[in-house]
Amino acid sequence: MQEIWNYLKDFNFASVVVRLLLAMISGGLIGYGREKKERNAGLRTYMLISIGAALTLLISFYENEMLTGAWASVTEKLGMKFDASRFAAQVLAGIGFLAAGTIVASAHQQVSGLTSAIGLFAAAVLGIASGAAFYECVIPAIVIIIFSMEVLQPLEVLYKRRLRNITITVKYINPTDVDMIKRTIEDQGAQLFDIDPEEVDEDNYPSAIFSMKMSKEKSSHSEMLSSIAELPCVLSLHELIS
Amino acid sequence: MLGIFDGIRDITALSTMIRLLMAVLLGGLIGLERSYKNRPAGFRTHILVCIGASIASMTGIYLYLNMELPTDISRLGTQVVSGLGFIGGGTIIVINNRKIKGLTTAAGLWTCGIIGLAVGAGFYEGAILTTGLVLLAETAFSYLGSKITHNEAFKILLEYNDKNALNYVMRYCKNNRMAISNLEVTSMRDSAISVYSVILTVRPRDKVDKAKVISYINDIDGVISVESLK
Repeated sequence: MQEIWNYLKDFNFASVVVRLLLAMISGGLIGYGREKKERNAGLRTYMLISIGAALTLLISFYENEMLTGAWASVTEKLGMKFDASRFAAQVLAGIGFLAAGTIVASAHQQVSGLTSAIGLFAAAVLGIASGAAFYECVIPAIVIIIFSMEVLQPLEVLYKRRLRNITITVKYINPTDVDMIKRTIEDQGAQLFDIDPEEVDEDNYPSAIFSMKMSKEKSSHSEMLSSIAELPCVLSLHELIS
Repeated sequence: MLGIFDGIRDITALSTMIRLLMAVLLGGLIGLERSYKNRPAGFRTHILVCIGASIASMTGIYLYLNMELPTDISRLGTQVVSGLGFIGGGTIIVINNRKIKGLTTAAGLWTCGIIGLAVGAGFYEGAILTTGLVLLAETAFSYLGSKITHNEAFKILLEYNDKNALNYVMRYCKNNRMAISNLEVTSMRDSAISVYSVILTVRPRDKVDKAKVISYINDIDGVISVESLK
């Protein structure tokens, strides 16, 4: 067992296969959970990035092998000017750019795709570690990363519920209607944090983002929303859920 | 490493030719699959990326090995990795506010570039193996990915005249593990009795039967009509 382990830590054909496969699996496992949620980045995307990241480090291993083996005469003459982590270092920058493309800032101050972007980054880093034959890190890390991404999410939702903080965008008829909306919110016992008027749309009706903390006793989440929506001056209401 | 490639690991006129052709072949294989699916970056794009990356990586080695300049052989090649990240980022487009398209193309292009780097470095084994795995991911796992059940969000248009109806609907969704991720209320004021209409975006956490949900909501008191929107 120990011999196989040590053999796979060396740079040889079998270990290259194992490292690439491990990278593919780790990317696939992260991608599976994301695909299930129908997020923007799916199973294949994560796999491709993990495999690519693993190959960068394998190229470094290969070059090191050649510099100390077949090309040793040149190395002796010029000195060893080689940095084995240089390829992998650029993966972090490259995937950073690529992942940034998945982050979308949509209307009403919402940002989505951030977890997908970080997931891509995690897949790349796991790929690098697999390429380095750092198996004792990759295997627990897969478990921990998937735990954080999948199991902690419902916990976070639960925690946010308890905070009773909500943010809504309301479109109304006259700019002066803000007062009425504000009064309705405060009548429900909520504590209003912020009213942030938005730019006027094409249809010329003003809208604003209200963020508030609801009271525990006085009204439920849906009661709050319907009481605002039923005001005669309110045209439409959007709840922002981050 | 495999012995069969040992003769072409140094930079010679022959090995350069072989590497360039191999870059065309491997890039072409990945590109073929992409253009078969009619994606923006197809056959030629992948070949060019693969050739470009292999030239960068070969030049780095050539400077050190043949010209005997004191340089890091991987410095030229490494910049390809971050440079292609930029290009890949540019292929991603945003549609409908929240959805994006082109990410798999970007990831594929990036991986194709790294395969090119491996070819250029003379690391043929890694390049060929990786191409095989990429094709596997693109075909077999593409099929698997489409088999995974999505908990897709759906929109329902609800019309009601009783104020409590919306509360009931929202409570029903909450109790059945469906999160309401967007709520748009518009009231119609021209009729004598006030009728409210609301568009709910429902994101189920488990697989749900859409028709069942809608028929349940339809039976709630005060609900006039309910229909599912695309």
